[in-house]
Amino acid sequence: MSERARDHLTAVPDPPPDAAGLLRLVARGDEKAFGRLYDMVAPRVYGLIRRVLRDPAQAEEVAQEVLVEVWRTAARFDAARGSATSWIFTIAHRRAVDRVRAEQAASDRVMKVGAAAVDTPYDEVADEVAGRLERQQVRSCLDELTQLQRQAVTLAYYRGYSYREVADLLETPLPTVKTRMRDGLIRLRDCLGVEVPA
Amino acid sequence: MTTADIHALVGAYALNAVDDLERAAFDRHVAGCDSCRAELDELREAAGRLADPAWSVPPRRLRVEVLNKVSRTRQLPPVTSPAAEPVRRADRRRWLVAAAAAVLLAGGTGVAVYAVQEQRLGEQRDLATAAEQHEARTRGILASPDLVIRTARMIGGGKVTLAYSYAQDAGVIMLGADAPPPNGEVFQMWTLRGEQATSAGVLAVGQTTAVQIVEGLPDNDAIGITAEPAGGADQPSLPLVSSVQIV
Repeated sequence: MSERARDHLTAVPDPPPDAAGLLRLVARGDEKAFGRLYDMVAPRVYGLIRRVLRDPAQAEEVAQEVLVEVWRTAARFDAARGSATSWIFTIAHRRAVDRVRAEQAASDRVMKVGAAAVDTPYDEVADEVAGRLERQQVRSCLDELTQLQRQAVTLAYYRGYSYREVADLLETPLPTVKTRMRDGLIRLRDCLGVEVPA
Repeated sequence: MTTADIHALVGAYALNAVDDLERAAFDRHVAGCDSCRAELDELREAAGRLADPAWSVPPRRLRVEVLNKVSRTRQLPPVTSPAAEPVRRADRRRWLVAAAAAVLLAGGTGVAVYAVQEQRLGEQRDLATAAEQHEARTRGILASPDLVIRTARMIGGGKVTLAYSYAQDAGVIMLGADAPPPNGEVFQMWTLRGEQATSAGVLAVGQTTAVQIVEGLPDNDAIGITAEPAGGADQPSLPLVSSVQIV
């Protein structure tokens, strides 16, 4: 590996930024802030899309679209309606689900040769450690849901199913599935202590 | 559909589990109902947290590609400002020059990395395999249920985080310094056991971050970081720049 490449991979970490603050800078065209925002959210954006789509090559493609979309529409983010990360993950989830719906049949894509990774980047591992407790919290909160609530929520979110498909899959009436998605998310909200400022 | 029927979709809507017609109906519904919108915002916020456990390291090239694309992508103006002033021509030109400079800067490194990759495809594949194994092992250790995480500050700024697992019989040293050591020296990582110090890795000149897997780490008493001449030393020079006890 060239010295230059190594330099590129091990940039000095800046003090821990805040997603909403970075997004405000991004909205003003600050590409450096975008780089930092990328480091903060890309593993979750990519991971979420990959979880929904399964295919890593497609996930990479959609993640790229989503992250560029975040750049393009940063000025449209409204802090009164939720956190910056949630705004970003909503875009990511929506795009992933759109792709699932649009390409439910398409399957045999040529896998790209995965070769660009050279080392596990420091920032991502540090994030992994920092995010670990949060993730455990999400998992244990999911355990607090009833089985039907949990299935309804996770089938929709992680598999990209519509509520009709979920109802079909769980052999449960449509109104019940709608209700379980709603009260499941309410329980999740209360367990996670999620708040929206407005 | 009645209003109550539509509002019953709030959970499915927050999970993107509705079709386009329902989505449009629901959008109209919340546009005229503040409390409905507040509930939607909260449920969507909760749903957003479901992305946390899905964490996965994207391929390195994604960052390069996204940043390249971003430098060529025009941003939308804010939606709420009623009479946004049109960008004046001079401002715009200045902005374009800045954007072009950014392309050159961002492109420069990317091109260098790519050139290396083109030349050494075989070597790159080996590296990628090693990186994947490194990543998989790192994630395996960090996912261990008995993981212990300890952090210490570094003299000169920055911190060292040590994560280790007895079940995995391994640990990960994460070093993030604010600056490289002075006088061209480099950071070196050590495992310390009784009187014995064993090198766990040497950073390159100017390198300030590292992620190092150490197999058998829980057998040691501590890890230490020192500043050493370029290339590293056989024995640690005191004082330690940082150390973390293993308990």
